[in-house]
Amino acid sequence: MVRNRLKSSVVCGTALLSFLPAIFSQTANRSKAAGAPDLTGVWMIDQFHPALFPKGTTPPFTPWGEAQFKKADTLVNDPNLACLPHGIPRLMFVPLPMQIFQVPDMVLIYEEAGNQLRQIHLNRDHRNDLDPTYNGDSVGKWEGETLVVDTIGFNDVTWLDHAGLPHSDALHVVERIRRADHNTLVDDFTIEDSKAYTKSWTASQTYHLKPAWEIAEYVCDNNKYVYHEK
Amino acid sequence: MNTRGFMFVFALAAGAILLPGAVFAHHSTAEYDMATVTPIKGTVTKFEWSNPHAYIYIEAKDDKGNAVEWTAELASLGMLARVNWKRDTVKPGDAITIYGNRAKDGRTLMRLEKVAFANGQELSAQVR
Repeated sequence: MVRNRLKSSVVCGTALLSFLPAIFSQTANRSKAAGAPDLTGVWMIDQFHPALFPKGTTPPFTPWGEAQFKKADTLVNDPNLACLPHGIPRLMFVPLPMQIFQVPDMVLIYEEAGNQLRQIHLNRDHRNDLDPTYNGDSVGKWEGETLVVDTIGFNDVTWLDHAGLPHSDALHVVERIRRADHNTLVDDFTIEDSKAYTKSWTASQTYHLKPAWEIAEYVCDNNKYVYHEK
Repeated sequence: MNTRGFMFVFALAAGAILLPGAVFAHHSTAEYDMATVTPIKGTVTKFEWSNPHAYIYIEAKDDKGNAVEWTAELASLGMLARVNWKRDTVKPGDAITIYGNRAKDGRTLMRLEKVAFANGQELSAQVR
């Protein structure tokens, strides 16, 4: 099941990427005419923060949220151990680069982590009755130079950070992504999840532009031992 | 336990049983003593150029002179390429010293910081 899900996600991402040149060539003028701020490029986090709440700080857990956090063991049940998708916002904190593409109606974030392609839809609202998914349903709009991204429709499988912060399917993530200067991108997150947290809280991640980098293939090859080889 | 949870635990358990010494699925750095860097000198037996982690296997000697296999875990191939690693940077038979953070549980496993070659040259395995 896990393997099939991984395979289909890689196939979908690869298929969508294969269309990108065609999308660009047919619609480059439309994209430029829109006058949207330019977030494109390969970006890498400036610093890896495994825990969004460092030691000495306490997340505003509900009793359910705290119980889930106590069960989290980074050596045993981190969903990423099985190379499952990181989910949002954790995908944006991974210490691997991402490439941002802007096409009409979408901002696409191609993550080296698992070669996942994150879609942010610009000209539609959330679909009704969303199927719960790892990365949820992201819709975005421009507020001046800032891309405001609203994401809901999550499953409850992923962690919010690398330390095991839990969430439920009620998770709602708002991101404000902006280019602080030519070489610096900032994503400010607001996290809401009334089942896991008593109030909303914020986090932030800074990225540096890496003009010489290309996104590399990243397949969980080692896991073949677990599934295929003796 | 739901099906997914069962499959995950089963997969880990199956791997642990079937592949002693070679069960290296994806994982965090939490299992390593990140505060200490240990050098281990030995001869390369295998270099596994794979994602999400590459691995160097070396045969070293313990305190009593007995042969012991050490495994060094590296970053993903994309990140390694960005700090000048290639699939043939180390080869079986090479005499090298691996420097890294040892596993907390006592296994002869480390997270590689850098490697030193016989000619004295060193290559970092970390993207700073």
